[in-house]
Order: sequence, then structure tokens, then C-alpha cells
Amino acid sequence: MRAHSPFRNVAAVMYREYKIRITSFTWLFYDLALPAFYLLLFGIGLNTAFTGGVAVGGAVISYNAFFLAGVLSMAGFGIAINTSYGFFVDRDNGIFYEFLTYPMTRGEFLFGKILFSLCITTVQSAITVAIGVAVLRVQISLPLLPLLFLANAVCTAGWFFCLSIFALRIRRNDLYNTVINVAYFVLMFASSIFFPLDNSPAWLKILAGANPLTWHTDILRYLSVGTGEANTVLLQCAAYAVFAVAVFIGGVRALRASA
Amino acid sequence: MPQREHAIHISDLVKVYNSGGTDEVRALDDFSLTVERGHITGLLGPNGAGKSTLLKILTTLLPKTSGSAHIMGFDVEKQALDVRRSICLVLQQNAVEQYLTVEDNFETFGRFHGLSKSERRERGDRVIHAFGLEAERRQKAIDLSGGYKRRVQVAKVFMIDAPVIFLDEATTGMDPINKRATIDAVAEEARRGRTILLTTHLLDEAEELCDSIVFIDKGRKILEGDLFTIKALARNIVDVSVTYETLTPDIRDAVERIPARKREVQHSTVLLTIDSATASPHAVLGTLLDLGPTLAFEVRGATLEDVFMQVLGKEKP
Ligand SMILES: Nc1ncnc2c1ncn2[C@@H]1O[C@H](COP(=O)(O)OP(=O)(O)O)[C@@H](O)[C@H]1O
Ligand SMILES: [Mg+2]
Repeated sequence: MRAHSPFRNVAAVMYREYKIRITSFTWLFYDLALPAFYLLLFGIGLNTAFTGGVAVGGAVISYNAFFLAGVLSMAGFGIAINTSYGFFVDRDNGIFYEFLTYPMTRGEFLFGKILFSLCITTVQSAITVAIGVAVLRVQISLPLLPLLFLANAVCTAGWFFCLSIFALRIRRNDLYNTVINVAYFVLMFASSIFFPLDNSPAWLKILAGANPLTWHTDILRYLSVGTGEANTVLLQCAAYAVFAVAVFIGGVRALRASA
Repeated sequence: MPQREHAIHISDLVKVYNSGGTDEVRALDDFSLTVERGHITGLLGPNGAGKSTLLKILTTLLPKTSGSAHIMGFDVEKQALDVRRSICLVLQQNAVEQYLTVEDNFETFGRFHGLSKSERRERGDRVIHAFGLEAERRQKAIDLSGGYKRRVQVAKVFMIDAPVIFLDEATTGMDPINKRATIDAVAEEARRGRTILLTTHLLDEAEELCDSIVFIDKGRKILEGDLFTIKALARNIVDVSVTYETLTPDIRDAVERIPARKREVQHSTVLLTIDSATASPHAVLGTLLDLGPTLAFEVRGATLEDVFMQVLGKEKP
């Protein structure tokens, strides 16, 4: 028997995801370039609507600058949805069950999938930020750029684990679709993605404050355009870390129970 | 205690689906079995007997309800990773990478099993050749017909050296030529010392391949033994078949009147299964030959199918 190598197993999972992804131009476009288009279309439209800029925590910045972090977190969430959706595709192909008998642990399987998503997220973040800077003239903090990419990658991983629990437990494609669509809509609306929460009604502030997508977006916003209180953002980092660990454990459990 | 020399050791295994519910199913019921290394064991039983359930538990896909199961001495639940490192399988349902080409299916599979680059290439080529997939090697699996997909899935297990192979109805959906290629490949792997547990409801396939046969019904082991022992159980059973030049209605009527355990008519061939304890095969053959001009006749001993009928009191599983 060959020695067990977690590194080789994770690499094999990533290679497989890569091979599948490059077979389809549409997937590559959705994963890599769509958010940049989103930023351009939404940004240009809403930037003219908010000519005076938007006020966030005392500072006033252009809507484009504000929306950049929103696009990044939204796109990370989108990648997590696509990756979790892969469980259904694999299950329909039957290959999912065969995977579970390959010589690797459930953790290695999940980790390989997530690591691949993180690579995609990072390339996508780089493209989106480049468009934001070059076309929309958003001023971002260059020294914090690596941290921005890292934060988006880690937060995307959190969403993937979270969605995996639902994908693996729900088992039914159509039902999962419905649940995810509703959750996506509610989570995005009750967050700081599209508008600052400063002037929102109290109930929305409370709802958004407990929403991990708000933490995700606020962390990215702090790292990209520098809005927000350092202490608040640190607290949001801690909250997101707890959320991510909890959903990771939940995800591995769901995978173990899924055969 | 399971011994290292046993490839598979199963003891009082129980699996209950939907436990406590109104739709509770006892899919495995105190099932025990030991398989020696290098043996081919056939698990035979009608649909719903519990064959797939057993294979899923042995391949770490499904948790058991109680009892124990070991593969190469490793506990299927407590040492799942060691078990996975000792096995490969063909699931009953299709399992291919739809979006990848045939050769990439083998490439990714080889990576998951830790084959080196040269091994992946060499073994990928070997199975592509053995399973007649040369012309399809660059096609995506999603564009292949069901039979070809099945070939890709089955071919994968012959790329790696895991000591224990599980085949769940592996030849289902294959044409006779590939069925033959699969059977030959399985036999060759066993000669090289690999242990094979296969399920089938094709008795002739089991009869040709297996060192030992296990009959399972309603989750219980009904019977176990080597081919000769099992067949001896039906030693009184004899199949007599006669092919007529033309099967006239008169011949048909006459055949209906001959006492037999089973009567089958296909085109112009009549097959009677009789119990030699109560009727003489020679007399039956003589009667059949007297009914009209014939092209061929045959008398042979029990097949596994006959044993199955004898033991379960049922038609072909
Ligand atoms: N996931 C499941 N949930 C509930 N019952 C199941 C499930 N899988 C199989 N069964 C039931 O368990 C029994 C054995 O099924 P199976 O192992 O697939 O038999 P076989 O492979 O011999 O045809 C059948 O009665 C089947 O309906
Ligand atoms: Mg079955």
C-alpha cells in the first residue's frame, strides 16, 4: 500500500475540479468575470444616482468605492453556491458515492473542493478590483490588498461550508434551489452590500448586524476603501471565525451522514 | 476475531433502514460471511435481497446498524480510511465524470489512487485497449451511450492494485463482447491474488466465475458453498431440451402434458426441467424426440438457476 498523503489527495480533488471547470467557457465566465460586469453596470448606474457619494461611518465616498466590497462578497457567496451545487451534479452522476470510497478522508475531500474555490475567488477578486481601480477610479489601499483577497477567500470558504450542510441534508435539487434563492435574497437585502446601514430603520440594522454577510462585506470594505471602525471590524472578524468553524463542523458531519 | 488472512470477515451484520418508522426495512439480518484472499465469491439473490446494502456497508458508504465487518483486517467504520485504501468498486448505479473525456476519467481516477504520471498513462492506455475504448478516448462521457459509460466505470477498477474488488451488477447494460472482457479481466485479477466479491442475478455468470457462491434472500444468508457443493443440492434436477424443425401446435399440446418442474418454449426449442427422482430423463427425452422431426437435443445437470429455484422455491431471481 502506498503511504497516505493528505497533500496528494487534496491536490487530486483540486485537479479534478480544475479539469471540469476548464471544459466550459460559460462556467469560467460566470466564475471569473461576471462580478466585474456587475460592478461596471450597477456601479455606473448607481454612481450617477448618488452623485454626492454615500456616507458610511462619518466618511463620504463614491458609490463605486462603496459597492466594490459588496460585489466582492456577493461574488464570493455566488462561488460558494456554485461549488455546493456541485454536490448535486456529482450525486446525479453517481460519481459522488464512488468518491466517498476513494482512499481519502471526508475532510480531505471537502478541503480540496474549498481550496479550489478559494483560488477561483482570488482570481475573481483580482479581476474585479482591477476593473474597479482602472475603469471606475476607485482608490483602494494597496498594502492591504493581499489581506483583502485572503479575507474574501476565507469568508467564501465559510459560506461554502454553510451551504454544504443544506446541499447534503436537503438532497433534493429543486428544494435546495428554492431554499438557496430565498436565503440569498434575504441575506443580501438585510446586509450592507447595496446601501450603508447608518440611516436604515432599527429592525433592519439589528437584522443586518447579525448577518454574517454583513460582517463579510464590512471586513472587505474596511480592507479595500478603509471605511468602518477598526474595533468593530475586528469583532466582525471574530464573529465570522466562530461562524466558519461551526459550519465547517456541520459540513463534515453532513458529508459523513450523506451516503 | 477477524484474522489478517481473511480478505473479508462479516459477523452478524444487521442493517435497518428507517428504523422505528412505518416503512422500516430490515435489509440485512444477522448476515455473516468470510472470504479468503484470492477468492471470487458470488453473492446471488433476487432484487431487494440486500446485496447492494451489504456492498455499501463494506465499502464505507453506509453505516451498519449492528454487528461487525472487516476488510483485510480493518474495521469498516473505525478504520474507514484503511478500508478505502484496500478496496475498489463498481457501484450498481453509474459513476463516471460526465464532463470529462474518457481518458481524463482514467487520469483523475489514477490521481485519486496515488498512481504516478507514467503509471496513469500506461494503465490508462491498457484499460482503454482492454475495454475497446480507443475510438472514444477523447469523447466526453456525457456523449457516450449507457453501455460505454458502464465500460469506463468498470475499466477503472483494473487500473489500480487495491487487494479487494467489489462489483455490484458490474456487467449490467453491457453487450456480450464487453461482458466477456469484464469476466476475463475479473478472472485474471483473481489469479493475480486479488479478492473479489461480486453481486449478480445472472446465474451463468456466477457459475463461470466464482469459487464460492452465497445465496441471500430478505437480508439473510440462505446457502453458502463452492460450486460443486451447491450444485449437488440440485443433483436430481435435470434439464432436457429439444429443438424441433417446426414447433407445431400438436407438439406444444403434447409437451404441456409431460410432467415437469418447469417448462419453457423459445422459438422452436422446448426446455423441460425435471426431477430425476420422480421421472426418468431418458424417458422424457424419448417422448420429446418422438413428437416430431428434431434439429438438436441436449440433457444436462443442474444450473445455479435450478439450485436457486430449489432453495428459494422461486423463479429466476
Ligand atoms: N436508502 C434506502 N432507504 C430505505 N430502504 C432501502 C434503501 N436502500 C435499499 N432499501 C431497501 O433495502 C432492501 C435491500 O435493498 P438492496 O440492498 O438494494 O437489494 P439488492 O441490491 O439485493 O437488490 C430493499 O427492500 C430496498 O427497498
Ligand atoms: Mg442491488
